Amino acid sequence: MTSRERTYRIEGIIIRRRNIGEADSIFTIFSNTQGKIDAVARSIRKPRSKMRGHLETMVQSSLFVARGRSLDILTQAQTIDSYQEIRGNLEKSAAALYCFELVDLFVEKGEPLPELYRGLKQFLEVLKATSSPLSVRYFELYLLNLLGYEVRVFECVVCDSRLPEQTALLVPEAGGLVCGNCRLNTGPGRLIPVPIIKLFRFAARVSLENYVTIRVTEENLNLLRLATIDLIRYHLEREPKSQYFLENLPPPPQKP
Amino acid sequence: MNSFSGVPEPLTRLINELSKLPGIGPKSAQRLAFHLLRSSEETTKALVIAVEDMKKQVDLCSICFHITDKDPCQLCQDEERDESVLCVVEQALDVIVLERTGQYRGRYHVLQGVLNPMEGIGPEDLRISELLQRVQSGNIGEVIMATNPSLEGESTAMYVQRLLTPHGVRITRLARGLPSGADLEYTDEITLAHAFEGRQTF
Repeated sequence: MTSRERTYRIEGIIIRRRNIGEADSIFTIFSNTQGKIDAVARSIRKPRSKMRGHLETMVQSSLFVARGRSLDILTQAQTIDSYQEIRGNLEKSAAALYCFELVDLFVEKGEPLPELYRGLKQFLEVLKATSSPLSVRYFELYLLNLLGYEVRVFECVVCDSRLPEQTALLVPEAGGLVCGNCRLNTGPGRLIPVPIIKLFRFAARVSLENYVTIRVTEENLNLLRLATIDLIRYHLEREPKSQYFLENLPPPPQKP
Repeated sequence: MNSFSGVPEPLTRLINELSKLPGIGPKSAQRLAFHLLRSSEETTKALVIAVEDMKKQVDLCSICFHITDKDPCQLCQDEERDESVLCVVEQALDVIVLERTGQYRGRYHVLQGVLNPMEGIGPEDLRISELLQRVQSGNIGEVIMATNPSLEGESTAMYVQRLLTPHGVRITRLARGLPSGADLEYTDEITLAHAFEGRQTF
């Protein structure tokens, strides 16, 4: 696309929506070719708007965008997938929103990241079919890895020696696991038992589809969650707002 | 604060204050301020008094959290209304719109927003615990979830449903489908799917 073109077409996933004015909304779209963009849809909240149902958080759409002076303007939208299976489930919706927030916080505007776009699409596809909390953990590690914050889990980040089959220290500041011998020379960290180290390693080796089939105890799931949150918090220098919601959902009602 | 050269300071202040209102940009604020400047003193005084009275006298109903100048509000005091049905809405404006239909004769509960995890709006920021208390203490048989059919509205409805289900109350959701004057060609798949699900004998 040249800078002279006044309009452009993208395929994107809407990751955020903010209502402005009487009936307009600004959408944050993570797209295949343009990366993260903000674009406004005029009169979208009016019932007669033709784009209304096609522009909503967690909808993958084919979009036609006109370049604006300060904000680009959405002129046409056609739903590709509305992820009904996710939006009808509170846990899945919360998980998707959390990952959208991660993308929003980690990715700069206008930086094309086609691989991350494919990864986000794949995450949503897997989330349709499974409720495994491992999907979120995988996406966190995938995102960190892709954006250059790879977590080293095979060798000690200090001495480069192969990590033995024993508890290691995860030091976000150092970028991975630290062996027993080097522990005293690093910053603060979290002790990671062997099953969690294996979960980290699997995430680097297998696909998301395979990762979510791993059987994990509640205790290990929680340890993995705490470890990945340490990493996210370190790189963002804060916790994503949607994390609290995801972790504090009321239990689903018991079926009679 | 923005300053406008050649514009007296009080007028600049008014322009700045007006431009903080939703949907009012700097140009509109300027137009409104100059209109007020040209208006009679009577007109501007009436506006000032109306704004002051609104701030002093209008508050939230302690039962349903709808806006009111009397507590409890008119809708909560109306004995003709069905106490066993509760319609849960996002904001006070929704009550006004629903009342305009004349179709609903039950009570309301205004949540004062919707769950929006990405903006950091959680259940503790809404009137969800008060809704739970009303259901626990009253003789409510049905709760109608009338939050918007957006992702946030749906999430809020599902969240509330989870909290209310153990209390044995019937929870319903407003029907969804094609709006009057809609064009099938431009209708999204979510709306069409709901329209098919909710179809009725003709």
